[in-house]
Amino acid sequence: MAAAKNFGEFYQTELAQQLLPFENLRKKVARSGFIGFGLAFLAIVFFAIAQTSGSPVFFVFFFIFLLATIIFIVIYYNRKKDYVAGFKENVVHSIIKFIDPNLHYDPYGHISKNDYERSGLFLNHVDRFNGDDRVEGWRDKTVFCFSELHTEYKVSAGKSTTWHTIFKGLFFIGDFNKHFHGRTYVYSESNPQLGFFTKMFSSFAGNLEKVNLESVEFEKRFIVYSNDQVEARYILTPSFMDRLVKLQDLMGDEASYSFVDTNIYVAVPIQDALFEPSVFSPNNYDKLGDYYNTVHIIFDIIDELNLNLRIWTKE
Amino acid sequence: MIGTLIVIVIILLIVLVWMFNSLIQKKNAIDNAFFSMDVMLKKRYDLIPQLVDTVKGYMQHERETLIQLTEMRQRLISGNLSPNERVEIDNKINDALQAVFINFENYPQLKASENFLHLQRSINETEEQLASSRRFYNAAVNEYHNAIEMFPTSLMALWMGLKHKTFFSIADEHKQTPVINFNN
Repeated sequence: MAAAKNFGEFYQTELAQQLLPFENLRKKVARSGFIGFGLAFLAIVFFAIAQTSGSPVFFVFFFIFLLATIIFIVIYYNRKKDYVAGFKENVVHSIIKFIDPNLHYDPYGHISKNDYERSGLFLNHVDRFNGDDRVEGWRDKTVFCFSELHTEYKVSAGKSTTWHTIFKGLFFIGDFNKHFHGRTYVYSESNPQLGFFTKMFSSFAGNLEKVNLESVEFEKRFIVYSNDQVEARYILTPSFMDRLVKLQDLMGDEASYSFVDTNIYVAVPIQDALFEPSVFSPNNYDKLGDYYNTVHIIFDIIDELNLNLRIWTKE
Repeated sequence: MIGTLIVIVIILLIVLVWMFNSLIQKKNAIDNAFFSMDVMLKKRYDLIPQLVDTVKGYMQHERETLIQLTEMRQRLISGNLSPNERVEIDNKINDALQAVFINFENYPQLKASENFLHLQRSINETEEQLASSRRFYNAAVNEYHNAIEMFPTSLMALWMGLKHKTFFSIADEHKQTPVINFNN
């Protein structure tokens, strides 16, 4: 609550001022967008009239408006690109630095494909890998990084290719507070990768076995696979299971977790882009508050899972 | 007619073999879990001499406890103990370790010893690994019990002479791992 209040003060004293030039730029971008749409609409109207009347004058009008539409669309995308880049480099950067000056924000960077694949959370082969808004740093003793990711696979049938999303959302990697050697995966019961047969049989891809745990509430919500039954329980202690349940209440049903190479990987599906400014509506306090809250979701993961508790040999 | 009979017999045989193998697998899983518990216990006992060596110079008032710890470890690694005796000594070791870690607050020099702090971390880790292997053992026993009690595997288990196994249970006061938080 205190932090939220501080953010309110920060918004009033610094962010609102910083937002002003971007608000003017946003209006310009929006204007070129509206003009582009208007011109496209007129081009369609003239095309329809030309088709019915057969008059060459209307065809000329149609081509003029079509050309104007293309010009304005190009202007719109160029302006939008500059606006988004400037907004992220200044406004989002300031918010991140306000949360913690030691955090490093790269608007164009993202979690690497290698790290994504190492997590082993998704079984599909990736054909298209995109992402941005990488944040990295320390929270107390835990080093972490996260970014937005969008991964897809393609299905080709003849000449047509369709793209299917594997994952879109927030991808987090944190240093886990215990040493381990195996691989353990925690999926929510509603995870689309777990079909009826996968749940029914105890094995999963890559020599993984289902781990049945004692917590009734945890078992209702999650399904766990690991290549080491003892180690899975070493990671998923009774209190850690309680914390995952609590975290699920906070973040929604879809988050999945993996414990690989002494790291914890968390994939939280989110439909909206992470730190993307609006073009057709103002970037107000609520909108920027969402950015602030997103980073705090990451802090919640670290705090709720008690990753800063370093009482084992991993310091 | 004979063809159908042969198919039925083959299917029946496959089911019987599958049931037999599944029961053996569950029985072996218990042995495997017990072995992993044993490995963790050994790891714990190996840390005791190091702990005693590190703290004996500082903890004068706990001399008696430290001597008992060494003796109990010797008894455990010498073997020839019934399972009940093992559990009893194991619990006593747990009590002694807790006593050492609770009292270490009274020795500021010890609190500053890097060696002791590292040892404490190792013991915390081993205790938690031990707890995990006990939980795995109990889960394996639970799965095995389900298999030997549920129809139709219960018939096969009866024929194989499979008996119930004992769950690893520890008294409430021993469920608490002697953990020290260094963050204070």
